[in-house]
Amino acid sequence: MSFFSAILSQLWRNLRRTLGSQILTLLTITLSTLIFAFFYLVYTNMINVGNQLGDDLRLVVYLDEEPSPAMQEEYRDKILRFDGVEKIEFVSRKQAYERFKKELDTNRDVLADMPEDFLPPSIEVYPVRSLSSLTKIKRFSDYLLTLPGVLKVQYGREWIERFYSFIRLLRIIVILSGSLLILTSTFMIASTISLTLLSRERELELLRLFGASSAYIRLPYFLEGALQGFLGASLGLGTLYLLFNWITLQFSGSALFGYFPFAFLPPATIALIITLSTLLCAAGSYTSTRKILQV
Amino acid sequence: MPSPAAEKKDKVMVELIKVGKSYPPDVAALNEISLTIRKGEMVFLTGRSGAGKTTLLRLLCRIERPDRGLVEIDGTDLGSLPPARLQQLRRRIGMAYQDFKLLTDNSVAENIALPMEVLCRQKSFIRRRAKELLEALGLAHKYNARAGDLSRGEMQRVSIARAVANNPDLILADEPTGNLDVESTARVMDLFHEHCKRGAAILIATHDPKIYAGKGFRILHLADGEVIEQFNPDNNANEGVSS
Repeated sequence: MSFFSAILSQLWRNLRRTLGSQILTLLTITLSTLIFAFFYLVYTNMINVGNQLGDDLRLVVYLDEEPSPAMQEEYRDKILRFDGVEKIEFVSRKQAYERFKKELDTNRDVLADMPEDFLPPSIEVYPVRSLSSLTKIKRFSDYLLTLPGVLKVQYGREWIERFYSFIRLLRIIVILSGSLLILTSTFMIASTISLTLLSRERELELLRLFGASSAYIRLPYFLEGALQGFLGASLGLGTLYLLFNWITLQFSGSALFGYFPFAFLPPATIALIITLSTLLCAAGSYTSTRKILQV
Repeated sequence: MPSPAAEKKDKVMVELIKVGKSYPPDVAALNEISLTIRKGEMVFLTGRSGAGKTTLLRLLCRIERPDRGLVEIDGTDLGSLPPARLQQLRRRIGMAYQDFKLLTDNSVAENIALPMEVLCRQKSFIRRRAKELLEALGLAHKYNARAGDLSRGEMQRVSIARAVANNPDLILADEPTGNLDVESTARVMDLFHEHCKRGAAILIATHDPKIYAGKGFRILHLADGEVIEQFNPDNNANEGVSS
């Protein structure tokens, strides 16, 4: 029997002997991963939603008078100087009137007695569609107000601030649930391995007396931790995938799902979560064996 | 020219030079003990309870360290041995403990398998060897029995089977026949003789004179922490078992 077969044989024996506590630990890691991955999934999808909403987002800068071509260049320079601006468009009084007329459609008669230049000229500023630029909009709006000839800056301020707060809250939840995953994985594994080691103190003492190497004694426990981490994370993510599919199926016809295509975590993120969980549990097991076995 | 077996026999397996060991507060277990055991030699260690027999055996597999003096196994000083070398050396030593040190929740076979697993032996080999040893000790029917369900005599024999499972170069037995009947004692001694013939050095701590009296073995008597070497003058059994 090779050294590695002997280690695997030991590992299998350990798992069988402490099946009850192994299952409990596995469930805890599965649940922690599920909680973390759930919030992370919501967070990433909300960021996507933010990006989608950003497609329709623009700031309308109302001016007191029609800017000359030289003035337009000056405005363009000053606005583009601010990071995160995708494009700007100048709307003259006449263009504004035409747009308004078009929007009124059959009710356009109400404009009959109005002069064609009653609407103010404006600049439409389209920010880059990213969450970070969304969060800078208030600052950007304040900046635009300082430009000469600007009467008012209009955008969906309240909505953006609420959305941003929601994303911030989600980010905190993701960090907290991530910490929960780290703590539970490390401590649960460490305590399970400690209990196993203490219950097998006599056997470990004998192994030392028979000349077992440190690797022979420690490796099975290290692998046990890593295996728990791997299986726990895989089960947690598998459960989340099933839940995600079920929810998608339930709301498949709804307008919300039609407008925002919700997506599951990408394979790279799944691999990263499983790897992290495996490493954390292996680390928990390593510290525990190191502390108790002193080998 | 000496034969290879005779040459092997002459090689020193255990060497103790002026070894002393005390326990707190001020109990001298061993005092300036010096002795030599050769390969292929069976030596008996006698003395009253508390004379230091178990301490001496524990020093030989470095479960304990001496306060002073030199302990050498096969030319290696145990005092300066790094962990990896100690592990290698321990694989060559088999010890049957007075308290058996069996894993009572495991089967008899699993207990005997433990030292062989440390050497990464094949499973088929481990099974065969465990059966062979249990057969030799009259416990073949207990192969799958739970060690905790055995009588003390049976536990003692399982502990001996485990000690010799790897065919060690040095066998240390602490009261190996203390709980055994005449027939089981004979089986255990036959097993030790077999290993002695193979070239193993065997040190047996015992209170039972029946297993060594009149058989020409070297007897080391421990008293007040000191060793008094006694030889059986009218027998040369040691030569007999080791040639």
